[in-house]
Amino acid sequence: MAVTTGSQQLLEFIKFLRGRDVPISPADSMDAVHAASLLGYADRGALRDGLAAVLAKSAFEESRYHEAFEIFFGLPESRSPENQIPPQEGSEDPADQPPSDDQSSANQQQSPQQQSSALEQAANASEALTQLMASPLLRALQNGDEASLAVAIEAAARDAGVEGIRLFTQRGQFTRRLLDALGETVLRDAAIDLESHNRAAFEELQALREQLRLRARDRVERAYLIHASGDTEEFLDNTLSEVKLANISPHQMIRMRKLIERMARKLATRHGRRRKRHRRGQLHVPATLRASIATDGIPFTTRWKAVTKRRPEVMAICDVSGSVAAYAKFLLMFLYAVQDVLPRTRSFAFSSTLGEVTDWFEELPVEEAVTLVNRTYGGATDYARAFQDFADLALSDIHSATTVIILGDARNNNSDPRLDLLAEIKSRCKRLIWLNPEPRVAWGSGDSAMLPVIHHCHLATECNNLRQLERIVDKLLADSRR
Amino acid sequence: MENSLYKELDNIDGITADFERAGYICTTRIATVVYLAAQLNKPILVEGPPGVGKTELAKTCAHVIDKPLVRLQCYEGLDEAKALYEWKYGKQLLYTQILKEQLGDILDGAKGLKESIQRLHSTGDVFYAKEFLEPRPLLRAMEQEHGAVLLIDEIDKADFEFESLLLEVLSDFQVSIPEIGTVQARSKPIVFLTSNDTRDLSDALKRRCLHLHIPFPSIELEARIVAARVPELDASLTDQLVRFVHAVRELDLKKAPAISETIDWAKSLLLLHADQLDSRLVHDTLNVLLKYEEDIIEAEDQLTKLLKQTSG
Repeated sequence: MAVTTGSQQLLEFIKFLRGRDVPISPADSMDAVHAASLLGYADRGALRDGLAAVLAKSAFEESRYHEAFEIFFGLPESRSPENQIPPQEGSEDPADQPPSDDQSSANQQQSPQQQSSALEQAANASEALTQLMASPLLRALQNGDEASLAVAIEAAARDAGVEGIRLFTQRGQFTRRLLDALGETVLRDAAIDLESHNRAAFEELQALREQLRLRARDRVERAYLIHASGDTEEFLDNTLSEVKLANISPHQMIRMRKLIERMARKLATRHGRRRKRHRRGQLHVPATLRASIATDGIPFTTRWKAVTKRRPEVMAICDVSGSVAAYAKFLLMFLYAVQDVLPRTRSFAFSSTLGEVTDWFEELPVEEAVTLVNRTYGGATDYARAFQDFADLALSDIHSATTVIILGDARNNNSDPRLDLLAEIKSRCKRLIWLNPEPRVAWGSGDSAMLPVIHHCHLATECNNLRQLERIVDKLLADSRR
Repeated sequence: MENSLYKELDNIDGITADFERAGYICTTRIATVVYLAAQLNKPILVEGPPGVGKTELAKTCAHVIDKPLVRLQCYEGLDEAKALYEWKYGKQLLYTQILKEQLGDILDGAKGLKESIQRLHSTGDVFYAKEFLEPRPLLRAMEQEHGAVLLIDEIDKADFEFESLLLEVLSDFQVSIPEIGTVQARSKPIVFLTSNDTRDLSDALKRRCLHLHIPFPSIELEARIVAARVPELDASLTDQLVRFVHAVRELDLKKAPAISETIDWAKSLLLLHADQLDSRLVHDTLNVLLKYEEDIIEAEDQLTKLLKQTSG
């Protein structure tokens, strides 16, 4: 019994952790339950350390884990009443039903009240109020009987489905529901009744109601912290990654940055294997001997150690003119966030003229570098000039393992974009990817030269939110591994 | 059944006490993880900065439970032939030679090709037999009859592909040899993997391990460690020295001194018969603690401040 309620709570905790960005597999959960049963629930420190070893797999996850552990299991004193409630008591709602024997006797022991309050005097005059005063809820409130109150609130919380809270704005609504389940309406009616003729008693009752409300709100907030904050964060993140990058306002930048870092970390682990440094041109003796067995020990066929592959390289060419600048910023942020696995990125920025900005990104924090790029190269777009500059700068450096990414809207103010240069870039590189922040339907409209551009790219795709960007970088990393 | 094999590791307080007797002061966190590893039969992935005693933990564990320590040092290019097993090619070649010589005897009197082949089959194929197998550390650890401690050191230095090779060993304690079949561990070893965090390990590997991060210890803990390792050193000097090291770690250094350096330093001070830290002594022995010239210069610049913090 003790083990089952314990593991139930442990599973809740695991759910909570998952909401906080700590991925936990079912196998891990099983280990956690096993570990917890070995360690027992009595020694909080040992339980915390033991579960940490099973559930948190990196330093980052460990810090998240410890945070979550403190919130979820709280300080042992403050949460103990709740932890110890066996589920059977949950069906009982002390506000509606006659009090169970042990509870009322416990209350009676405490109830010899020294001071007779205004409320009690009023109760003497009213039959309904006398009944109300006898209800265990009010008695507990008046006597400050923490244990019974906690039991009542827990039971009501279950009835009201408080654990279903998902958004911060639902707090008021759930507090109300919890109070209703507690049978608080009776108190409210009594208060309304008293308000007109007995001011003193009314105020006393109001104070008790306020106390109850605060407790209920506490309970709801805790439920929110445990069950929803993860969901809300995820909800926000999801929204942010779907929204058009140009519409992201400065105050969301911090969150955006974190999001990019997290996506980058995910991609980095997915693709993050190191290139094997093969030894070129050495005889693989064991393999050769093994192969020679078929030919009676004569090394007829020779086996050689593998040969190194060419190091992949990415060149990003970004239009930083007004219309596209915001997108360029995020593309560059993303590319530099995956630097660990993408060995070499050279970046170029242009609007009318083009220049290499790689060094800035190596020396400055990404955001500063982006601002500097915008300031230096912002202006009206001229693709012909930009391609020409790029060809002069870097065409000879493009080799068969280079991926070239161009970010731009291909709107060239109705002048010739020199697609012959683009064709030449394509012929030299492994992949040429064109990212266009405009929706596909707008391609080719007005002064957009996008339609002919498509023929000169290996891949031309729409890219205007973080999700699409992630997909492209993912593909890029997968390609560069091959 | 496994628990009976490592019965020294069946309670946390016992582990702490046993390890301390062996000269390894461990926190309850470390003891808890070792306990869980023995009970759940899971490998421990130990991470942390260099020199905090990751390798030492495995060695001490082997010492405490009195089992052999099988160590596999990882490096770039490590492959299965060096980690798992290798065929003894020379002997295999000799075997073919012998077989050729004996062929006449075996086939003596056989009529026709069919019977010859049948006879040949009946002699049994020993070419790929266990006798020709040269066990490498992983297989050797599996072969220990009465349990062992397997230390896979600095797994982050090995290639990514090597991690996949480890998965079978770590989760099922078995090794598949294509020519023979699956070799099950005779008894499950206690496995420690250490990593200096030079790269991220794969999720698959992490998932199979208990995760233990050993940070630099607190002042009290480090003082106890030094006292356990260099018991001859005066207690007040030990305290002073540990405080000094902690102050040095706060500086912006290329490589912060680890516990092993603290212990080395304590040993050198003992040799020099020092009874108190002063600027001259520190100046002369700082190279034991810090390994880079820039770091030494940086620390010497702030020597008075550091010493003041130490005494205060």
